[in-house]
Amino acid sequence: MAPAEGVSEPNLLSAEPGSYRDPDSRVIVTQEGVYRALSQSGLEDWQVLHGSELFADEVARGRLIATEATELAVPDDLLTGGAAGVLAHERIPFVSYPYEWTFGMLREAGLLQLDLLDRALGEQMILKDSTPYNVQWRGATPVFVDIGSFERHRESEPWIGYRQFCTLFLFPLMFQAYRDVPFHPWLRGSLEGISPVEAAAVLSLRDRFRRGVPMHVALHARMERRHGSDSGREVKENLRQAGFKVEIVRANVRKMRKLVERLQWKLPDTAWTGYGADPGYADEDRKAKERFVAAAAERRTPALTWDLGTNDGNYARIAARSSDYVIAMDADHATVEQLYRALRGEGAPADKVLPLVIDLCDPSPDRGWRNLERPALAKRGKPQLTLCLALIHHLSITRNVPVREVVAWLATLTSGLVIEFPTREDPMVKRLLAAKRDEGHADYDLAHFERCLEERFEVQNRLELPSGTRVLFEATARG
Amino acid sequence: MLYTTILAYLDPGTGSMLVQLLVGGVAAAGVALKLYWHRFLRLLRIRKDDVPPSERPTRAEAGDGPG
Repeated sequence: MAPAEGVSEPNLLSAEPGSYRDPDSRVIVTQEGVYRALSQSGLEDWQVLHGSELFADEVARGRLIATEATELAVPDDLLTGGAAGVLAHERIPFVSYPYEWTFGMLREAGLLQLDLLDRALGEQMILKDSTPYNVQWRGATPVFVDIGSFERHRESEPWIGYRQFCTLFLFPLMFQAYRDVPFHPWLRGSLEGISPVEAAAVLSLRDRFRRGVPMHVALHARMERRHGSDSGREVKENLRQAGFKVEIVRANVRKMRKLVERLQWKLPDTAWTGYGADPGYADEDRKAKERFVAAAAERRTPALTWDLGTNDGNYARIAARSSDYVIAMDADHATVEQLYRALRGEGAPADKVLPLVIDLCDPSPDRGWRNLERPALAKRGKPQLTLCLALIHHLSITRNVPVREVVAWLATLTSGLVIEFPTREDPMVKRLLAAKRDEGHADYDLAHFERCLEERFEVQNRLELPSGTRVLFEATARG
Repeated sequence: MLYTTILAYLDPGTGSMLVQLLVGGVAAAGVALKLYWHRFLRLLRIRKDDVPPSERPTRAEAGDGPG
């Protein structure tokens, strides 16, 4: 396909490594935009979707990614049989994955998937898969991005994505809601999620009486054990002959929606959930810190800001006033869930804040096929400004990362940095040190920290907070 | 055969397809009864298999996982 006149050929024209699974559609990301090459069959599915009420309405509501047909020359070998058409998608500010989301986010993404599926079935279409990787976020609002997942529905086809919905949405949510078992390690451990047999093995006898478990877990596991080796083609044909119809799929989808909507995670009281309101932080300190962060963000107007150890998201919101987008990260799931719930009800600038569960000492690695399918966190977009407030003492003392290494890592990550150093006289630092043998961590020292910082950063501003035990720095990475 | 052309890229899992009949309410119950009635007849050899054994995929081809 030749590019239209005036359309420049983008750089780096190769398929996104994570989009290989669907033979009818490949995603291409360039500096200019996000594109999707379609096979002939994929193109016909797109034409049906584009002409549907669903598409116009859901794009207008922001629940479906804005998409239009475009002209773009793509390599012949991108799809078997060549590309019959190319779509251009709106770009999502930062790609995130379900093992970085909170319970509420995974649930909301699942509900969006089910809503779109129900609507699609009403217009003779279906979603060909049910993976949470089809959903991305604009702040705390989910958006369905996999346009290639919509296809024409054949009347007697079952819900092909049902099993995948269970393994990647329902079972992880049940683990958290019913057992308070965090789903992140499971989803990070397997891109395919939790199988029915695994879920049945983990949920207890008591859980067998909870909503959704008898059918979707216990029976599902039993059927899988019993029929796993049956021919899928034969079962499909049998279903067709027995009169399987779209109403059954819709009934299943609606029941699943009710089930997912009712799943609740009762937030545990962790050491962090009330941290932001801790009276230990003097009001004057807080005000000075807010002014310092606001001024740094205003000066730099970053496209992307990372707020590490965001807690209640106060400084993420302040940075968002002058940033295009902010990633608010914290290792504590309950804290991020609280933040997500708060952000959902807020307007600007909170709508530019994406909350994520990230443990900096164990961040999301490269995963999937060739380790390219789901890249590590920093490979998805480095920040121009990083906030590292009231965090370094936790990394250095609790998690044993040497101060010099924390600073070195920050220098590889970001150009601009606002960092707070609580001194050894700070009550929180004293508490953390008291838990360690002989009050070690000699490298946790203000003078040493400043030397490490100056090795790698040019320090623009330094401010001692009124309490006298915390010092703020604004700095820019050298070179 | 028509159905060979519409196999999805995602393996729905045979057990998972059958669960949908048991979750799918009244409309599904009729289909479930019919399906199992057909299977029952096949068991009694009153009705022939729908797909000749030679055309059936092997266990490895059938698979059971997504993607």
